Amino acid sequence: MKPDQTDVVTEYLREVELRLSGLPLLQRRELLADLAAHIESERADRNAISEGALIEILERLGSPEVVAAAAYEEAGAFSAPSGGAFGGAPVGPPPVAPPPFIRPAPAAPRRNLWIFTVLAVVGVVVVLCLGMALTMSRDAGPAEQGPPQPAPTASF
Amino acid sequence: MAEGAQLASGLRRGTLEFCVLAMVEFEDRYGTEIVRRLAEEQTLAATEGTIYPLLSRLRRGGLLDSKWAESPSGPPRRYYSLTPTGRSSLAYFRTEWVSFRQTVDRLVGTGEIA
Repeated sequence: MKPDQTDVVTEYLREVELRLSGLPLLQRRELLADLAAHIESERADRNAISEGALIEILERLGSPEVVAAAAYEEAGAFSAPSGGAFGGAPVGPPPVAPPPFIRPAPAAPRRNLWIFTVLAVVGVVVVLCLGMALTMSRDAGPAEQGPPQPAPTASF
Repeated sequence: MAEGAQLASGLRRGTLEFCVLAMVEFEDRYGTEIVRRLAEEQTLAATEGTIYPLLSRLRRGGLLDSKWAESPSGPPRRYYSLTPTGRSSLAYFRTEWVSFRQTVDRLVGTGEIA
């Protein structure tokens, strides 16, 4: 094999590796070894000696982005006999070039909504407590400089 | 076009792995062999390089086992075999798939006796 042909392969594997930084080391190594073995065995079986034939093998393998995205998608999902059938595989966060249909954006507003809900609940509780405290203090002693409350004279 | 690709990817998710398990049901096969065979199927629309992460997940999940072996011609090959867990998982999928397919056929109107 000529050095410039190996360069095409080395470059391809390097491009894939660059995109796998978020994966555990062993999974990263495994995938790179699998891809390298695939390229070698395709090259041997198809007697691919020209650079054009080599590039064709790499193109069939898929772009580094596509391969890396698949690696992230499969990374977190351990298939179980019952869970694997129709359960959607958990999608990991592809750091580079996420597929167009994955939109992480909605996560932020949803989180904000949560905070608002919690704040609202806390606010309501505080207001209720204040109200109760006011009522109790008014019951205990003579009402003094309270806020304009309607019907302070109501007796039960 | 994008819609078609999305449909294919949705259908593929959760079913492709059982196509892989079925391929090694009766004899061990090496990675490139499995990948080539699946990529040939246009309907599956599976890019070759994306099948290796799937093989890795099936191995980590205990459904497949693998071992490297010398090849008579060329570089060493990684052979995959079905584990007992993988075998029962495949059997379970087969029954699930038949009833799933029948239900979808009935609801969508794609059954033979529609």
